Amino acid sequence: MAATAWRYAPLLLLVAAWEAAPRIGLINPAALPPFSLVVHAWWYKLFLPGDLVLHGAASLADLTAGLALSIVVGLALGLAMAWYRPIDLAVSPLIGALYPLPRSALIPVMILWFGLGSGSKVASVFLGCLLPVVLSTYNGARGIDRVLVWSALAAGARRRAVLWEVVLPAAMPEILAGVRNALALSFILLVAAEFLVGRRGLGYLISFLGEGGVYDAMFAGVLTVAAVGFLADRLYLLFMTWMLRWRE
Amino acid sequence: MSASGISFRRVSHTYRPKRGAPLLALDGVSLEVREREFLAILGPSGCGKSTLLYLLGGFLPIEAGEILVAGRPITGPGRDRGIVFQSFALYPWKTVRQNVLYGLEKQRRPRRERERRAQELIELVHLNGFEDSYPAQLSGGMKQRVAIARTLATDPEILLMDEPFGALDAQTRALMHEELLAIMRRAPKTVLFVTHDVREAVALADRVAVMSARPGRIKEIVDIRAPGAGRNAMSESASAALVERLWQLVRGEAMLAQGVRA
Amino acid sequence: MARMRGIAGAFLRTAPLVAVALLWEAFARAHVVSEFLLPPFSGVVMRLFEDLVSGDLPTGIALTVYRALAGFALAAVFGVAAGILMARVAAMRWLLDPLVSIGLPMPKIAFLPVFILWFGVFDASKILMVAFSAVFPVIVAAAAAAEGVDRALLWSARSLGASRRAILWEIALPAASPQIVTGLQVALPISLIVAVVAEMAMGGEGLGGTIMTEMRFADSPGVFAGIIAIAVVGSLLIKAMELMRRRVLMWQAEAA
Repeated sequence: MAATAWRYAPLLLLVAAWEAAPRIGLINPAALPPFSLVVHAWWYKLFLPGDLVLHGAASLADLTAGLALSIVVGLALGLAMAWYRPIDLAVSPLIGALYPLPRSALIPVMILWFGLGSGSKVASVFLGCLLPVVLSTYNGARGIDRVLVWSALAAGARRRAVLWEVVLPAAMPEILAGVRNALALSFILLVAAEFLVGRRGLGYLISFLGEGGVYDAMFAGVLTVAAVGFLADRLYLLFMTWMLRWRE
Repeated sequence: MSASGISFRRVSHTYRPKRGAPLLALDGVSLEVREREFLAILGPSGCGKSTLLYLLGGFLPIEAGEILVAGRPITGPGRDRGIVFQSFALYPWKTVRQNVLYGLEKQRRPRRERERRAQELIELVHLNGFEDSYPAQLSGGMKQRVAIARTLATDPEILLMDEPFGALDAQTRALMHEELLAIMRRAPKTVLFVTHDVREAVALADRVAVMSARPGRIKEIVDIRAPGAGRNAMSESASAALVERLWQLVRGEAMLAQGVRA
Repeated sequence: MARMRGIAGAFLRTAPLVAVALLWEAFARAHVVSEFLLPPFSGVVMRLFEDLVSGDLPTGIALTVYRALAGFALAAVFGVAAGILMARVAAMRWLLDPLVSIGLPMPKIAFLPVFILWFGVFDASKILMVAFSAVFPVIVAAAAAAEGVDRALLWSARSLGASRRAILWEIALPAASPQIVTGLQVALPISLIVAVVAEMAMGGEGLGGTIMTEMRFADSPGVFAGIIAIAVVGSLLIKAMELMRRRVLMWQAEAA
């Protein structure tokens, strides 16, 4: 208990400095409202009026849809590439060409194609997260020890069964790591897209508050997004540890 | 031809690395393995002895020559040939019991029978109490016992062993030898056992095929004991003489493999 | 990725790209979708050429690369320094560890409005936003690398008479460099992603800003040309990073 408190003391220090600096005039309170005012604004300006729930739900829905789609498609494509050489030959060069493209550059095209609503955001998240999932699945499936496949074949498993029963679980550590990268990317892309387009989502809410000069609420929104992203990663880590409990 | 005899007929294999020139790993290997005999294949590292086993397993394509099992050419992996690898090849995400059950599930035996058979095998290799452990929680010797149980569970007629005890310490290895021989007494099988350890070959095998350095050929076949003869029947001095003779055969090849002139 | 050598390999690698370009062209020319949604590939290439000649594209590329690399350089210098300090000074570890473990997984992009508020909408703001986004993976990699250096290396250097400073520069840093470079290779694409987003959100030209303007004016050949330009820039930067890795880490036995 004391050890944990000691460990996280620097965070308290940071908060204390945030509270003190604008109050003693070290920083202009307009540029950095004291922490307590930000918390106050979170409750009275974001939570009670319902804005946080409304925009948060919209963000969560778009993020989940885009990410889930990228995981399903990415997993299937990655496995297919690792298992069937013609697919590998056809798809690999395309992935090689698209991989270095900074994912955020696709947001304008998605707006062009899918308009200002949810569609463009879901598509941006989907396309941005697809490649990390494909590549980690492909590398994981290609990297497995061939004797694992052989011993399954010797036991009488068919090739299709080997794919599901041996290759997929053996590649799981890498796949899960790739999905973790995709999760981080999905937040970046969603918030970026929300800054740029539409009237929904936490990204929109933050930039709207910033442009309107409601800085205490803007900081509250920024902290909320950061906290949600952080918590999502921690929850995913728990899930990952549970999935890989066979590793010691 | 008997049900589980094996013939290699002029089998050659070329290894093609991603970089560099192709390498002739096996050069016209011919070898007859009798039914229910324990044959050790002895040779320096890199002589292609494991390749021979992988070809017989059906994991690598046969490019030249043919391999017959019970008179029929092999076309791919099959349940008649079980294999144990040096690296154990256990599924790390499955428990001991689930690993042993895997082959039985592929045979679509009734559930109750599968469970019973798996438990039998786990007891055979003395792993009672570890049924629900994951491989990562076991020692090397225990892992290899799981792998042996998994392979024996489906009762293959032929057992392929690719340096199965190579990753174990000397003490564990000696214990595993005794266990393997005890298991073979209870359910004799045709065994092909690849090793580079001369003592191991003498301790276990009925016959030893000595392979030359790359490209691999069968250099000589040495009789150790009559099939099914008791392992303890051999005198210390007879065993020492055999070890000495095999060592002389292998030594020259090992030095050749290292680029030293013998 | 499937790798093949020789002319056949080169053909197999380019064939799918050519096929996509042809399909794109045919799809657009057949007016399956409007030209606004998908301008013909040839038109996009023409546009790319025009922008290249007019000088708009080179200016945009220069601005984006400058912002991305300046932020990346800041992140590299501060990240490596902070990481090594964390590994070697207990107080620094205590101070930075909780901040970094929260900072690494949190979506830094959310702080964009804060950077606008503090630093305006010009270069400084974009560069700092890039640095803030890219610095955390560098810190984590550098700290893990510095901590993972084999103690036997440090001890043998000390027994050979190396000073503490010499051990840091001549032994610890080179020994840690493979992992540090891996951290930098994670940070570089992040720098590009964030530079482009910052340009889109704040304006001020650069490839991201230009694409956004073109999108607003429904100039779709311009949007697609810009994306191709960004892809080429990104791939060149990533290639350059790989070359650097190979030069710096020549001693490392890697499956290159």
